[in-house]
Amino acid sequence: MRVTLLIAWREYLENVKTKGFWIGVLLVPIVFFMIFHISTRLATATPTRYYLLIDQTGQYADSVEIAIRREHQRRVMQDFMRYLQENRSDSANFAVSNEPSNQMDQLLDDFGNDEVAALDDWLSNGGLSFALQMARPYLRAGTPDFEEPREQFIAAVPPPELDLSAPPEQIIETLRPFLNGERRLPAGDNQISLFALILIPADVNSDIVRPVTTMQSGLQNDTGPRGVQYWAGNLTDTRLSNAIQTSINNAIRQQEYIQRNIDVNAVRDVQRTRLPVSRMDPGKVAGDEQVSLADTFRQWAPMGFVYLIFISLMQSVQYLLSNTIEEKSNRIIEVLLASVTPGELMMGKLLGIGATGITTILAWLASFFAFIQLYQTLETTMIVQILDVLLGSDLIPYFVFYYLCCYTLYAGIFLAIGSLCNTLKEAQSLMMPLMMVMMVPILTMSFIAQDPNGTMARVMSWIPLFTPFTMMNRAAAQPPMIDVVGTTVLLVVTTITVLWLSGRVFRQGILRTGQPPRIIELWRMLRRRST
Amino acid sequence: MSSTVLSLSNVSKRYGDFTAVNRINLSIPKGSVYGFLGPNGAGKTTTIRMILDIIRPDEGEIEVLGCKSAMQVRDRIGYLPEEKGLYKKMKVWAIISYFASLKGIHRKDAKLRAFELLEQYGLKDFANSTVESLSKGMGQKVQVLSSIAHNPELVILDEPFSGLDPVNQEVLEQLIRDLKNNGQTVIFSTHIMQHAERLCERLLLITQGSKVFDGTVDEARAIIPRRVILECQNDVAALADLDGVLSVCETSVSGEGRLPGTRQWELYVKEHTNPQLILQHCFQNGISLSRFDFTQTSLHDVFVHLVGQEAREHNFR
Repeated sequence: MRVTLLIAWREYLENVKTKGFWIGVLLVPIVFFMIFHISTRLATATPTRYYLLIDQTGQYADSVEIAIRREHQRRVMQDFMRYLQENRSDSANFAVSNEPSNQMDQLLDDFGNDEVAALDDWLSNGGLSFALQMARPYLRAGTPDFEEPREQFIAAVPPPELDLSAPPEQIIETLRPFLNGERRLPAGDNQISLFALILIPADVNSDIVRPVTTMQSGLQNDTGPRGVQYWAGNLTDTRLSNAIQTSINNAIRQQEYIQRNIDVNAVRDVQRTRLPVSRMDPGKVAGDEQVSLADTFRQWAPMGFVYLIFISLMQSVQYLLSNTIEEKSNRIIEVLLASVTPGELMMGKLLGIGATGITTILAWLASFFAFIQLYQTLETTMIVQILDVLLGSDLIPYFVFYYLCCYTLYAGIFLAIGSLCNTLKEAQSLMMPLMMVMMVPILTMSFIAQDPNGTMARVMSWIPLFTPFTMMNRAAAQPPMIDVVGTTVLLVVTTITVLWLSGRVFRQGILRTGQPPRIIELWRMLRRRST
Repeated sequence: MSSTVLSLSNVSKRYGDFTAVNRINLSIPKGSVYGFLGPNGAGKTTTIRMILDIIRPDEGEIEVLGCKSAMQVRDRIGYLPEEKGLYKKMKVWAIISYFASLKGIHRKDAKLRAFELLEQYGLKDFANSTVESLSKGMGQKVQVLSSIAHNPELVILDEPFSGLDPVNQEVLEQLIRDLKNNGQTVIFSTHIMQHAERLCERLLLITQGSKVFDGTVDEARAIIPRRVILECQNDVAALADLDGVLSVCETSVSGEGRLPGTRQWELYVKEHTNPQLILQHCFQNGISLSRFDFTQTSLHDVFVHLVGQEAREHNFR
């Protein structure tokens, strides 16, 4: 045992004392932080788009303008809600409160339940200025002023040479250089790029699709563009086209209601009528069955743990292979084997590199905690509360158990592979099948999270190489006792057997030179007692 | 030299149809310096690995320091393998200390011992260097020190001189003498006969897995007759009739700067023949000698005599 610990300690130090190790370990939280930071910044940094709206019917321009302004107000409201949650004076609670106690909670509650209705209220109450006034008493002292987001879509002025009443084809021809970016539109002293053109031809109403005419109109006129024409080089930013489609269709529907003598306000009220659905969990204590955001997160959290096991395992596997192959190719192995038994050597490596893996996970956790302490936003506050839920749940013991079993099981196999190879290149070809096996639980991870006690999840749980990943993934879904006990026993027995067989291969492989063995030789190694 | 530290009886090892070691018997007394000689592929390393219980023999028995397996007494054995290697990123003192602590020395003592050895063998300035920054020869010295840092009773060095320059070969020779003076038993394998000649009390010569000689250096030299080389203008074949001369044969003259007509003769003589008698006979018979060379038989000659043909065949196989 003493020599096993000595070997483990050396292996551990050799890995954790290198700069490369810490760069690799810290790269993960740094990349995570950068993605987090950049994505939150990018969300507010979308450039302003200039559009040109030509409505030859004169019926829809106002609706589109209103829709675009409404879209902007929606963003203002969203940002304001965020601002409110981040800066409220009482303790923040990410979960939406069930019993709103004041006006601000009411606003947040409405926003959480029905954004469209909340927006209507927002606009009818006077928008941002009202909201600011209302929220002021509830804000923390020293809260910075709210910064209203920039407008994303601004109407451009048509170029003077454009005849707005010309046939659509002619308008397109005139504007094509602007849309292609070959020419820029004048806007005061500046020049701007035209992002999109919305062209509503004079005869657009003849293209209105009604349930009765859908099939016919689809067959009749298939030659050119129909309805409203939306011209833009950027095909990925669909916010403007969506806003236009929705607003024009709303305007048409308004006309239809009037034509059919239907009370528009009644329709509006009907559309806003809703019955909330309370999600309940039968597994929870009576009276407290309502599913909160934290509960939902707890159901998905095992996937995070599966990833953590996988990433840490991939790192450990690399160390196991490279260290074993270094000892083999440098012929250090022979000196070691004159001092320790192959079994002690193998166990020392398993322990040392296992400790390296645990150090990595602890370093990630430490940097993660440092990150959420130092970088306080609404999201990180949510993460803190979610972590509290997680750390208090039974997922942590599951994770520790499955991590250790998974590591031992796979590390045993990889050590045996390492002992058979003289170069990393040789090892890679032997590793490939095992890597494919390891990918299966990762690829099926989201299916299992969705149906944690389904046939696929249950079958995979009983395959020892998949057990740690699959059972970890099912941990929050209270799998049947037979699955928990049965797969655990099978996993432990398999891990011990694999270690024992790997020990045999390791003993014989470690002094081997030349090409890795063929399958038949490997079989002989597994059966042979000693060299 | 009272007790035996290592004995092998009828030890064999086969890999498939190939017999690497064939029924080797051996007994090494305590405190001796023992040489394992043999051509490439003779089975020296396999024998050493079996002694260390790194691989198991198919037949026969090995007893090391009174135990059936070297693993039982691994802390009392030091080993330098034929193919040298160290952890490249480790510091020199740390690697010596690590191997010593694997052999049961307390970590603090192992560190002290590492520095002591490095100072003793002229590597003190490199104690804090990493192994990768050392030259090949220096790395090899570090590995030798790693193998003896725990003061083992039995030291097994497989080809310790290969790759060392002449100065470091002398340092290593001194180290082996120091070990011997300390009462430790040393076994080393080598291709360089001069080292064996200078250091060993006893030798084992194996070829193709079988023992061809086991005895003292003098016994080895006695295997082939002593030789006198003469150069003159005459025919001296008649010297074969002299008492103590076994045979006379003419050999081709090697080297330059000789008078035209010079002939070279080799006389094989009995173990205790006095070469002065040959010299006296030449004077009395008016044979004018331009060279009279009477040298002791070298181990090199013995080696070539015993395994030369097989080694040549082996190398060209």
